[in-house]
Amino acid sequence: MTEAVASPRAAALRPGRAVLIAAVLAVALAVPLGLDPQGYPIRVLTLTLLFAAMGQAWNIVGGLANQISLGHAGFFGIGAYASTILLRDFGLSPWLGMLAGMALAALAAAALAVPTFRLKGHYFALVTLAFGEVMRVIANSWSSVTGGPVGLSVPFAPDSLWMFQFGAARPYYYICLGALVAVTLVFWRIKAGALGYRLRAIKENADAAEVIGVDTFRAKLQAGLISATLTAGLGTVYAQFSYFFDPDTIFGVATISVRMALIAIVGGVGLTFGPIVGAFFIIPVEEFANAALAGRAAGLSAFVYGAVLIAVILLKPEGLLALFAALGKRWRERRR
Amino acid sequence: MLQWLQALVDGVLVGGVYAIVSSGLSLVFGIMGVVNFAHAEFLMVGMFVAWFAWAYLGIDPLLGSLIALVVVFLFGAGIQRTLIRPILKAPQVAQIFLTVGLLFCLENGALLLFGANYRSVSTPYQTESLRLGGIIVSLPYLLAFLMSGLSGGLLWAFLRFSRTGRAMRATALDPMAAKLVGIDTDRMHQIAFGLGVGLTAFGGAVILPYLTVYPAVGAQYVVLMFTVVVLGGLGSVAGAAVGGIAVGVIQAFSALVFPVQLQNLVLFLVFIAVLALRPQGLLKGASA
Repeated sequence: MTEAVASPRAAALRPGRAVLIAAVLAVALAVPLGLDPQGYPIRVLTLTLLFAAMGQAWNIVGGLANQISLGHAGFFGIGAYASTILLRDFGLSPWLGMLAGMALAALAAAALAVPTFRLKGHYFALVTLAFGEVMRVIANSWSSVTGGPVGLSVPFAPDSLWMFQFGAARPYYYICLGALVAVTLVFWRIKAGALGYRLRAIKENADAAEVIGVDTFRAKLQAGLISATLTAGLGTVYAQFSYFFDPDTIFGVATISVRMALIAIVGGVGLTFGPIVGAFFIIPVEEFANAALAGRAAGLSAFVYGAVLIAVILLKPEGLLALFAALGKRWRERRR
Repeated sequence: MLQWLQALVDGVLVGGVYAIVSSGLSLVFGIMGVVNFAHAEFLMVGMFVAWFAWAYLGIDPLLGSLIALVVVFLFGAGIQRTLIRPILKAPQVAQIFLTVGLLFCLENGALLLFGANYRSVSTPYQTESLRLGGIIVSLPYLLAFLMSGLSGGLLWAFLRFSRTGRAMRATALDPMAAKLVGIDTDRMHQIAFGLGVGLTAFGGAVILPYLTVYPAVGAQYVVLMFTVVVLGGLGSVAGAAVGGIAVGVIQAFSALVFPVQLQNLVLFLVFIAVLALRPQGLLKGASA
């Protein structure tokens, strides 16, 4: 794998790869022009880009810092609720609401991290799971502010960039594409930068990293804060795109927390393009399964979901990118 | 004063069931080192087994609990063999997500097979209660508590005195050394996993007289079970007993002070606090 090369910055900037990235971006920019701006395909693509960005944000904590979070829905929901409540009560632009949500999520992440970030592995997964559930219970029971179990609708505002509302799906597509590029750049900067090296040292051997002077707590905290903040921002985007959400969906373990992780895992944990590949596999498959089986078999799509997760872990825990790499290598060898 | 005493009694009775339900989770971790996120789903499976035994064979859930134990033991042993064994030495991320995938499959598999309906049983003792002074002791709660206590005692004796139980403890302490003295550690893992999920299913069956079963019922118990287990020390079966009673009493007391919706919130906060302050559990020196 190129990722194992000593200098990831050099590996990431190889000319062949740069050309490929530029080509993919050009296609991504052009695709909506050929699609019905109100249609179903562009909605699925928008959702895919959004979930790719979410998987990427999870990847900062789960892939780089190796802290398996099962509670990122907590931050995602904070972002969605913060911007929507500020819009509902004060008519504040969701862009500003997004910043408020991000700040709030950073606070929540810090409050959670200070006592628990020393926890590792299973314990960290458990504590984050409980954190997401705490947020869900609060959203369900604090009805006067959150609207309770019924959920919240984003107040209607005319088609405007400032109010983050559009009649068609196309503008959301470009916003989600921009979000994905932004989160991916953050991920890549961390991975190639000093923080990435520290996190990798911690991942390999936390005690050894500590001995050579890495402040393991600080490095993990930084990664955690960045990841939580980005996730909250994406929560606002989701709220504006879907117009409606309720506590059990937005703070859901299966709907958000595990899905974010699954996207990163299916593509390849810790790889820059892992969540993107993962999202383009998972989300369309899910949408297709839901559309094909709509209402006929409740639970089937979630069942398949679990089965895919089990299959990936048992068959190819390194993810689809590694699978592609292996297949590509075999193909080249056969041609020779 | 009386209502606190009543809450204490209720809490202890419910907590006894939490203890046996969670001891299975602790057993699996103690012996195999795997945190099973799908564990609470086996409680749901146990409840369904007991419900079908009652509906089609007319067996009372308290006896049906033994059927649930056996059926889910075999089911669990099969799952251990096919899904858990390959990831025993895998990184934690693989273990976490395999069991999370299993959680989805079990819950939604039940939804596909049985539908989303709520099912309950009717038993002659369902609405009976005993009066001790001003305290009311509900009979189905008391029976569930006694069944849990009995099975907990048997589990303790099994691990302590039986040949298999001792071999299992040896496997937990040092798998390599256990292998060297001729213990089939693969088999011990299989028995431990089957027994762990079987006990949880047993616990699910004994609470059926006062609860209803539906596919998502396990979700109610995920964090609860982990709270119990972490309170008592992950991997310690005796700790699960203490943790179970503690969680039952905390729940009963918080129900007196907070509105119903916030009951779980208190539990989650206790959980986070315990993980933050004493992740090794309240009792130190764990023994499987």
